[in-house]
Amino acid sequence: MRPRLARLVRFASLALFTACSGPAPGPAAAPRPSAPPAPAAPDKLLPPSAFASIEPPAARSQALFAEASRVLLHARCVNCHPPDDSPRQGDAHAFHDPPAVRGPADRGVPAMQCGSCHQDQNLPYARVPGAPDWHLAPVEMAWLGRSSAQICAQLSDPRRNGQKTLAQIQHHLAHDALVGWGWGPGHGRSAPPGSQVELGALFQAWIDTGAVCPAGEEKRP
Amino acid sequence: MSERGDRRGRGASEETTGGAPPSEDRARFTITVSRRSFLAGLAGLGAAAAGLALGVRVPGAEAAGATGAAVFAPNPFIQIGTDGVVTIVCHRSEMGQGIRSSLHVLIADELGADPAKVQLVQGDGDPKYGDQNTDGSSSIRGQYEAMRTVGAAARMMLVTAAAKRLGAPEARLLAQGNAVHDPVTKRSVPFGELAVAAAKLKVPAKPVLRPRAELVHVGTPMPLVDAPGYVTGAAKFAADVQLPGMLTAVIARPPVVLGKVARLDEAKAKAVPGVVQVVQLPAPTAPVKFQPLGGVAVIARHTWAAIRGRAALEVAWDGGPNAAYDSAEFTRSLLATVRAPGEPVRRLGDAAAALARAAKVVEAEYVVPHLVHAPMEPPAAVARMDGGRCEIWACTQDPQTAQESVAEALGIDKSAVTVHVTFLGGGFGRKSKPDFIVEAALLARAAGAPVRVQWTREDDLRHSYYHTHSAQALAAGLDAGGNVIAWRHRLAYPSISSTFAPNANRPSRGEVNQGVVDVPLDVPNLSVETGEAKAHARVGWLRSVCNIQQAFAVQSFIDELAAATKRDPRDMLLQVLGKPRTLGPAELGVEAKMLGNYGAPLDKHPIDVARFHRVIEKVTAAAGWDAARKAGRAVGLAVHRSFLSYIGVVAQVSRGPRGEVRVDEAWIAADCGTIINADRVRSQLEGAFVFGQSLFTHGAITMKAGAVEQRNFRDYPLVRMPAAPRRIHVELIPSEGPPGGVGEPGVPPVAPAIANAAFALTGTRVRTLPLVPVRPVRPVS
Amino acid sequence: MKLDVNGQAREVEADPEMPLLWVLRDLLGLTGTKYGCGEALCGACTVHLDGNAVRSCVTPVRRAAGKKIVTIEGLSPRGDHPLQQAWAELGVPQCGFCQAGQIMSAAALLAASPKPTDEEIDRSLAGNLCRCGTYVRIRAAVRKAAGV
Repeated sequence: MRPRLARLVRFASLALFTACSGPAPGPAAAPRPSAPPAPAAPDKLLPPSAFASIEPPAARSQALFAEASRVLLHARCVNCHPPDDSPRQGDAHAFHDPPAVRGPADRGVPAMQCGSCHQDQNLPYARVPGAPDWHLAPVEMAWLGRSSAQICAQLSDPRRNGQKTLAQIQHHLAHDALVGWGWGPGHGRSAPPGSQVELGALFQAWIDTGAVCPAGEEKRP
Repeated sequence: MSERGDRRGRGASEETTGGAPPSEDRARFTITVSRRSFLAGLAGLGAAAAGLALGVRVPGAEAAGATGAAVFAPNPFIQIGTDGVVTIVCHRSEMGQGIRSSLHVLIADELGADPAKVQLVQGDGDPKYGDQNTDGSSSIRGQYEAMRTVGAAARMMLVTAAAKRLGAPEARLLAQGNAVHDPVTKRSVPFGELAVAAAKLKVPAKPVLRPRAELVHVGTPMPLVDAPGYVTGAAKFAADVQLPGMLTAVIARPPVVLGKVARLDEAKAKAVPGVVQVVQLPAPTAPVKFQPLGGVAVIARHTWAAIRGRAALEVAWDGGPNAAYDSAEFTRSLLATVRAPGEPVRRLGDAAAALARAAKVVEAEYVVPHLVHAPMEPPAAVARMDGGRCEIWACTQDPQTAQESVAEALGIDKSAVTVHVTFLGGGFGRKSKPDFIVEAALLARAAGAPVRVQWTREDDLRHSYYHTHSAQALAAGLDAGGNVIAWRHRLAYPSISSTFAPNANRPSRGEVNQGVVDVPLDVPNLSVETGEAKAHARVGWLRSVCNIQQAFAVQSFIDELAAATKRDPRDMLLQVLGKPRTLGPAELGVEAKMLGNYGAPLDKHPIDVARFHRVIEKVTAAAGWDAARKAGRAVGLAVHRSFLSYIGVVAQVSRGPRGEVRVDEAWIAADCGTIINADRVRSQLEGAFVFGQSLFTHGAITMKAGAVEQRNFRDYPLVRMPAAPRRIHVELIPSEGPPGGVGEPGVPPVAPAIANAAFALTGTRVRTLPLVPVRPVRPVS
Repeated sequence: MKLDVNGQAREVEADPEMPLLWVLRDLLGLTGTKYGCGEALCGACTVHLDGNAVRSCVTPVRRAAGKKIVTIEGLSPRGDHPLQQAWAELGVPQCGFCQAGQIMSAAALLAASPKPTDEEIDRSLAGNLCRCGTYVRIRAAVRKAAGV
């Protein structure tokens, strides 16, 4: 896990530089040099205040999303945001075994419903992860294999986010119990950096700075 | 360890089936029917009737069997009441092979009873039944004549009684449909009315068998006797046995074989609500044989408390002599071994010289890892002590060995141990070993209450008797015309014998008889050599035993020769097997005493190339081999003889949606000699395909620091329904020849058939199993 | 704790986190539901909760309270559910151990999709392992029971 997180950190920093060295702002639009903050430790998220010095606000917004996407791109999140019919497992995103499928309501099929096995909490002996209403994200909200820029574009598009406002999405990220499970996945599973509260704050700050999506990045492998 | 254990050790090294000692001796016991055994049979029936009728009855709680007075019981297998109810004992364990839907048919057909109306009773472990060891695919092939003989004896006595009653000569009377008929007078007497008179007669010393044609049910598809119990949940498996006051034990065993408890703090375990007692079990000594592995048992009021209690134990283990074993490293040492000459076990001509002068030499190395049985029912046993007696209910393939092992562990006479055989939720060889049953007995004594030992899936995968881990190197020399002029096969793996004899350190005679020294090869220069390999785990037998890796290597390699010479694999296979003929030791290139032939005489069960040809022809015709290849479909063929049966398999594969190699369809042709219940034979062969597919695709037990790395079906996956072929076609070749085995022989040709098909599809040769590498194991938190 | 098992009211004293499997087997004596893995990987322990097939080995009993629990013993009054009949007629079981779970999964499928396709059968029964390898017959029996 550690190397992957480190890569994500480097990746996020790179995104910052990309965002800041974009072609748009002329000398007049950049009243003072914007210094990207030092990357957080692999298991930590930077608070919104760490980005305060970035100008213009659009670049700050992009940087905030990049920081938040360290969570969004984490295996605990993307494994349940697949672009196809199969949930994934583990940090290498292996196909779910037993071979569960999405089903018509993102909750599996008869006898192989998500809730056939997953309970409302992690199980201490059986290793089965659990949280209330365990299910897949709708396929139009697929994140697996996508870049933070692509995920951001999806999130911002009501046609691809389940007709939600950004505030509703922020609420989901900041308060949903299934999202929160990611920080307590149990049984030696890796957790995304920071906490659900910190993610909520970052996302709110991103909205507050204009919800600017990162400029095109390389698609994640 | 018991005599039986020692015998088993020799069984593995000296006999033929890696754990299936010859049943002939014991079978003979049952056919020597005398007045004395008639009386003993009557006495014995009491015990049988007190045994467990699998299914709806509470075990041991009531008499099973005839509903009326059981007056006619000429041997331990049959009783007929005055009410006409015919009760037949099944003395072999039911583990999915359908023996309870097959064995009694032989008795019933000889007797003249309708198999559908027979009351079936499961026999307890008792030498009076002869050999009860349900492995080596031996129940039909080893008991065919014996079962017919007991049926014939009873029938002759009934006919004699009927002759007297009807005043008709015996010769013209017919026993049929639970009655004796006189075709001349058209009069009939039901069996029930003959029971009293028949019981007074002398048991014939040499019962005369019916002509084969009179065995009216043999060979037909008959229903699955136990289906109602299976589909309603009424069928009783070992863990389903519940006794008043029974406790449940779950055991923390040393992760390494011959390891010991170094330090134990049981306080937290005892604090778990429902935990009654923590008991340290004695550590085994080498050789391990059938001894329990030791460790610490948590005994509780129910399974959940026992599981939680075990998790709360604080145990430090002393690794012992096997603590350095690393199966990945072991693979490298096995490969080094088979790259050097070994001890010859089969030789014809001069393979080295022929290889040296060959126009072309093809070489390949094959590796098959440790495998585990993983029956759906993990081992479980219930024991109850009553004074100096011990009563056991267990899912055992071998109740007599269980009886002996329990007696020895408790230090009591084996006559004081009763072993009831429950249904087995799969066996595959695991449940021949009574270690888990001995655990139950020791704990019942320690607890002073009936105890059920429940193995968890982790226990099953981590503390088994594993299929051996092998490497094989094959080399063939071809002349300019593509003919095989030299064949060299080197193999190394820890022997099953190592479990019983500490110095056994190379493949045994029994093991090389499973598809190496007994393979017909039309090659003038042959050398088969075994290499040294020391065991560091408990090695045991698993469905078809060494045939698995040996058929995989031989049948893959012949396909490699076809590819190397750009020939149709079927043609190459037929060429290497040679023209129809039978082979003895001289033609095979082995010493006569080397050839085990699954304990069967060669004159009765020769190694018959014509039968190989027949199954190849049949299976390739069924699969449309030529058309399939012409159409570019990826098909693979393999053929193998084991346990005296000949099986050909064609697998057809394609790329699945995720790029994986998936098996679409399979064809099987089987020549098993005389078959009893055709539908159970088909179902065994269908199941064997999936079993073989699992070990080809997924199966691997790996060990690090002496401990098994896998823990559940997540890291020891089995084929699931979506990956199973859409169709499995089974062609049974009609035969009146002596029966061969059925439960195991279907397995060996499967992996090479799929491997050969996968090669046709991908151009990549799978030489190391499994196809899908072992998934990394997440550490347990 | 009050439970509704196969239409009967049952009272058990159990740790609310105890898996339903062990409550059924050890406390209520309903042994038709099998333990095969304890981690929801094999499906041998499948029962219905309010008609949904669940793995009882990972279902804390507290989650079953207030729901209708149906086990293989209660699937049909006389063991004659069309699936049970089809299973017997086609000789599906080998060792039989996994079959109660297979049937419970299949019953949940047929309740939701009375005429399932082969793909639906595969998907719904993918969580039920059979080491004997009876899958081809299981598919056939589900089709037979569904009349497709």
